[in-house]
Amino acid sequence: MSYITKYNILITAFVLICLCPNAYVFAADELNCVLCHKYRGLSRIDEAGNFRLYYINQGLFKKGPHKRVQCKDCHVDIEKIPHDPSKNVDCTVECHLTEPSGDEIFTHKPVAEILAKSVHGTEGDDSISIEYPDDYPYCTDCHDQPLYRPLSFFKGHAAGVSKRGLSRCKTCHQTGDFAEDFYNHVTSRLQKMRVSSEIVTLCAKCHGDNKFQERHQLQANIVTSYRETFHGKATYFGSDETPDCIDCHVVYGENVHSIESKSSKSSATHTSNISATCRSSDCHKNAGEHISGYQVHTDYDDPEKYPLQYHMLKFFKFLMAGVMYFFITIIFLELLRRLFPNFSFIKYNDTKA
Amino acid sequence: MQRYPIITTRNGKRYFFRFSLMQRVQHIVLFTTVIILALTGFPLRYYDQPWAKPLYSFFGGIDTAPWIHRITGLILLALFLFHTGYWLYLFFKYRIGRLIREKQLSIRNFFKEFFSMEMIPNKKDIYDLIDMFKYLLYLSNKRPHYARISWKEKFDYFAPYWGIPILGPAGVALWFRDEITHYVPGIFLNAFYIMHTDEALLAAIFLFFVHWYNVHYSPEKFPMATVFLTGYLSEDEMIHEHYDEYKRVMIEEGLESDIATLNH
Repeated sequence: MSYITKYNILITAFVLICLCPNAYVFAADELNCVLCHKYRGLSRIDEAGNFRLYYINQGLFKKGPHKRVQCKDCHVDIEKIPHDPSKNVDCTVECHLTEPSGDEIFTHKPVAEILAKSVHGTEGDDSISIEYPDDYPYCTDCHDQPLYRPLSFFKGHAAGVSKRGLSRCKTCHQTGDFAEDFYNHVTSRLQKMRVSSEIVTLCAKCHGDNKFQERHQLQANIVTSYRETFHGKATYFGSDETPDCIDCHVVYGENVHSIESKSSKSSATHTSNISATCRSSDCHKNAGEHISGYQVHTDYDDPEKYPLQYHMLKFFKFLMAGVMYFFITIIFLELLRRLFPNFSFIKYNDTKA
Repeated sequence: MQRYPIITTRNGKRYFFRFSLMQRVQHIVLFTTVIILALTGFPLRYYDQPWAKPLYSFFGGIDTAPWIHRITGLILLALFLFHTGYWLYLFFKYRIGRLIREKQLSIRNFFKEFFSMEMIPNKKDIYDLIDMFKYLLYLSNKRPHYARISWKEKFDYFAPYWGIPILGPAGVALWFRDEITHYVPGIFLNAFYIMHTDEALLAAIFLFFVHWYNVHYSPEKFPMATVFLTGYLSEDEMIHEHYDEYKRVMIEEGLESDIATLNH
């Protein structure tokens, strides 16, 4: 065998080893999509000029909520490999998973139905939703892939598998991954999966844009005004106990997707419900009825809507400016007098007086 | 009350009594609490500044720093109440007590005594202020001859003395916001918030820039005045800053012949 032939065989063997998915990948991916998607650099610039990365980290994927779902269950239009650009994922499709509590095929459709009726849904004859349908969120606008957020120990507790807790399930459910999957599914829903600051950032994606607020006849600077409150500042400093947008805008105990406009009588932020919302959770349970009068989203530049705050702030600003200009002037003049001690506008000596 | 020598001599130099130990201790508690309150309060006000998070973390972050702030605030409030009791005690013991002993107590004399207290602003302060501006604008070569407490020192005194009753109760109301909303409308919390944060900003800027300039940074004082520690002011400083008081004390102590001329 010539040196070149040996060399070619070695190269070919190396390439085949690199291309060949390992046993673990085969187990998670029957269609062998990771044959290509395992490469970190798999990407392109799409028609809109956006950079798109198609790399799938299998280690993270196995820890994610969709680990038992086949790629094709969501990317339903892919029929051949290599495939053409696929359509956006429709989260309401039925996955080929059977819900453990019954025999139904699983789907996110009920969530989508709740969302459609909420303030974030386009259901109904609302003229704004007809005029600006693209402003309304789709599932993936709020739910990024949790597998890219592997540090899910939020709100002071680690979500997911506790080996000690799991050992009780394993007594009976000894085979397969059922215990792990079911335990993960339940425990991850018993606590908030995102820190408060992440929720605020998420809502700010749309509500932080004043043009968006104007299109939907909503108050301007709504995110800024929240961040100026103690709630907002504590959240910024990493508090896991202070309320974010969801805590106040969703009726306590209700699904977050059912969020309503504050003009709706059943909304958490309707004038008649604010005190109940503030007092419903552990935040202000001992507060009086008057807590509803606290204006969270104060715009200090709006004298018509917030006259008290506007004028109080003006008073303190003028007071500070007056005091500081007065003393800075004196300090400046003192230094000047020290610099030119012998200059004088008067010609006679008045120091004897 | 402990008697302090009005003039004490060290290394051949005269020093003039300014503040008693009790007053100096009160001042130490005041500036210590104010500095801690500023360090634990302003990171929250300017939360988005790059220094805010590290500074707040130094004080234990959002779980601990607010408690340090509240406890320190309570100490400052207690100091305010103590100081009010302190001057009221001195006022009634030495001034009203004397009026009672001399059977001179009347409403007119009561207010006369009150307004003659050294910290209360009076007519001389207005004349001193005018004289000071005339001197600084080169319209006169004569410095104002300040008495024991100059108008600037009175301003320094009343900055925290007016600030604490605004800041303190507003801070307590924000602390006990749940309880307070049983009695007052919720919008009061908005008002308390502005009162607390903006008055704090005014107080901090005034104390850390103007007051510290007057007592530490100015060319005459740099790097630091020591009267807040020793309670005594040197003769040079006394002549320069409190000439009327200097002359009064020297005459009172029988040192009239040693009175120095103010070098304008």
